[in-house]
Amino acid sequence: MIKANHVTFEYFRRDDAGNVSEIVEALQDISLQIVPGEFVGILGQNGSGKSTFAKLLNALLEPTEGMITVAGMDTHKEDNIWEIRKNAGMIFQNPDNQIIGTTVEEDTAFGPENIGLESSEIIQRVADALELVGMTAYYQQSPNCLSGGQKQRVAIAGVLAMRPKCIIFDESTAMLDPQGRKEVLQAAHALNQEQNITILYITHEMEEVINADRILVIHQGQLVMEGTPKEVFQSGEQLQEYGLVLPRVSQLAVRLHENGIDFAENVLNIEEFISEVNRVKAYTRIQAMGAGRERDSVVANPDVKQKGRDAFLQEQNRDSERLEAEVQENRQNAMTKGLVLDQVSYEYSPKTIYAYQALKNINLTINKGEFLAIIGHTGSGKSTLIQHFNGLLSPSEGHIYYEGKDIYEKGYLRVQLRGKIGLVFQYPEYQLFAETVLEDVSFGPKNLGLPLLEVQQRAFEAIEAVGLKDTIYDLSPFELSGGQKRRVAIAGVLAMKPEILVLDEPVAGLDPAGRKELLELLKALNEQGMTIVLVSHNMEDVAEYAKRVLVMENGSIILDGTTSRIFQDKKKLEKLGLELPVTAELMRELRVAGHEVNPWIYQMDEAVEELTRYLS
Amino acid sequence: MIRDITIGQYYPVQSPIHRLDPRTKLAITFFYLISLFLANNKYMYLTAILFLGLYILPSKVPVKYMVKGLKGILVFIMLSVVLNMFFTKGDPFIDWWIIHISWQGFRTACYAMLRIILLVLGASVITYTTTPTKLTDGLERAFHWLKRFKVPVHEVAMMVSIALRFIPILVEELDKIMKAQQARGADFENGSILKRLKSLFPVIIPMFVSAIRRANDLAQAMEARCYRGGDGRSKMKPLKYTGVDVAAYVLLFLYLGGMIAMRILMTDWIWNGVA
Repeated sequence: MIKANHVTFEYFRRDDAGNVSEIVEALQDISLQIVPGEFVGILGQNGSGKSTFAKLLNALLEPTEGMITVAGMDTHKEDNIWEIRKNAGMIFQNPDNQIIGTTVEEDTAFGPENIGLESSEIIQRVADALELVGMTAYYQQSPNCLSGGQKQRVAIAGVLAMRPKCIIFDESTAMLDPQGRKEVLQAAHALNQEQNITILYITHEMEEVINADRILVIHQGQLVMEGTPKEVFQSGEQLQEYGLVLPRVSQLAVRLHENGIDFAENVLNIEEFISEVNRVKAYTRIQAMGAGRERDSVVANPDVKQKGRDAFLQEQNRDSERLEAEVQENRQNAMTKGLVLDQVSYEYSPKTIYAYQALKNINLTINKGEFLAIIGHTGSGKSTLIQHFNGLLSPSEGHIYYEGKDIYEKGYLRVQLRGKIGLVFQYPEYQLFAETVLEDVSFGPKNLGLPLLEVQQRAFEAIEAVGLKDTIYDLSPFELSGGQKRRVAIAGVLAMKPEILVLDEPVAGLDPAGRKELLELLKALNEQGMTIVLVSHNMEDVAEYAKRVLVMENGSIILDGTTSRIFQDKKKLEKLGLELPVTAELMRELRVAGHEVNPWIYQMDEAVEELTRYLS
Repeated sequence: MIRDITIGQYYPVQSPIHRLDPRTKLAITFFYLISLFLANNKYMYLTAILFLGLYILPSKVPVKYMVKGLKGILVFIMLSVVLNMFFTKGDPFIDWWIIHISWQGFRTACYAMLRIILLVLGASVITYTTTPTKLTDGLERAFHWLKRFKVPVHEVAMMVSIALRFIPILVEELDKIMKAQQARGADFENGSILKRLKSLFPVIIPMFVSAIRRANDLAQAMEARCYRGGDGRSKMKPLKYTGVDVAAYVLLFLYLGGMIAMRILMTDWIWNGVA
């Protein structure tokens, strides 16, 4: 299907005068072959060259050296370009920037129209394509009314209408919420299995390629690993070098192995993990009791299983009572110290046909020093809620108090409040504007009316705090890498020395290494006393870092409690379409399978400890 | 929500006017506007109102809804009425204190008001009954002949339709960037005009950067889907004239002929004969 033969891609970086200042080798000597019907995952850090590779396959770029053939056609040849693009369709990252039509149907027809098909043929193909991605019901809708996952499915339909042999997903899930990710991944697998379309799936989300036929890892322009998921996810060390991590379950397995337990390392999912625990446990039993006993005594015995379940339920009750009390206490705690929302409601465009109640009667107290996560679906009101914290939106009803004062009282200095409650929007790098990094970071403190010396001082500190070097001060923020831009933008808020830092999806689109660094930074800030409010879709991040969790749905707070309490309420979370962190799910499943482990563990470190104890 | 605002406020119902080919509606709009400038007496205005009624009523767009749209130009209407009323000389109609209004002034003012209202209503029917895409489609086809003079008709139409698609997205983005800068203490509301203009830089620059990034992405996505300009491109739903269009054209030309005839014949009659 696709053949790459010693492919190298170079581009020139030019200085201000237009002279070539540097030759960048985005890809070096890549050779590979992809057979028809394969599902290939391509992993790599931000800037590793994986997107460049995708564009080469679609003939959007041409290799500097070497040759690429798609379905037998050389991408160098001008005549082949359109045929290649018909055969190898591409789904890009940003759902908004790849939909051309003003309705779903019209967008799907865009490709077939470009290749000049008959009207009746186009209508047929559009209908078929929308059917395959399950978007038939939306055919006359404006793409602006769709969710991210639906938009990407429309983009897939647009490619399918060209009847391609191969579809390349270029980080197509990076900007989506978990629901959207699932939709896109499922669509990719269905097309692969049912339509026998070759899939190239580029991502830095390890969990998404567990079921791929083959995985390629690209690092600094080179193809560094290749193999089945089991082979690639065998050792974390090598992946770490490439800025990647193992899938959560494999991480756990590897760490158990490191702790001296005879545990297979290349375990990819929960089922495999449980059967491995069964095997090890049976094995240790056999050892303890001497030979002669059936190895599956633990699991096969229904009695043990039932006992496990009983104990499980009992514990659940006890724990929830204790935790409920804790939450109550938190609520009572000090109206005067933190941020209090008292019966806050908010309506967009009131009294028009577009009127929309985004928040309903919110009561919330955020104490100083907390690490709070807000989770919930896209559109559940999370973003609207956090915009109330610093007075960007004023509630239609209700009051907001900070340190005991109503922030909407006459004479309250809201600009100063914005210094105290820092708000980092989603993709904050899009707000960068100044000529230099230093100037951009100084923007906030300058607006607070601080003396110049203090402004500079704070900017220096903030840039250091986000882990950037002082050589960056005079660079333009626009020439930085994606991850650096994000840090500069966060530094711009940190420079105001906020007491509460609110971040909306701060790690969206970052690769695993970048994600971890940023979250560790937040943890460190929290330990220094800063209150952190994290809006996130990622349950793993919430589990590892947050101490308290709010769950929102339809503009209301549905659950509010400690992280462990929230993750015990699996049923409620499931009803809301939210998932448990993998670790919590795994421990729970182990308990249900009759293993005597604490099912309430949701953090990686604790799980390793518990399982090491249990298995040795 | 801000993203629900669409240009032209398409009113989604099924009606014969909605079914008309956009080219027909373009022709109606164009000739109707011209006919209004021909009108110079009450009979002609009456005919124009009648024709507009024939155009609006079958469209099933509530007249109330359309009249609401006039609110935006109320100031303009009032201004033209006042100017015409006070600055047209002639026989006195009202002559009290410092207010002098002539008969002719009063009449011109009424006609001016009527003309503006008819003009706006007549031109807005097409936007109420045609989706932006169909409209650009129609424009592309209607101005197809300009291609011979090297006018990039297809490209312009494509640009308009992409602009229509991205307006809500960019409006939302503008809102977001303004809020993000406000969160960093930016103040867009207070201070002198110069200061306020200056405070817009942190909004305008990211907007430009983002628009360019989006344009870049979009160009790539279009190329990847085999877009290479208007040549060799087909349409899923090519524009086709139907019976309704024929009827509409017949009515339009009857009306137009009538208006022209009235203009020529009635001018003498009114000024010399009766009046």
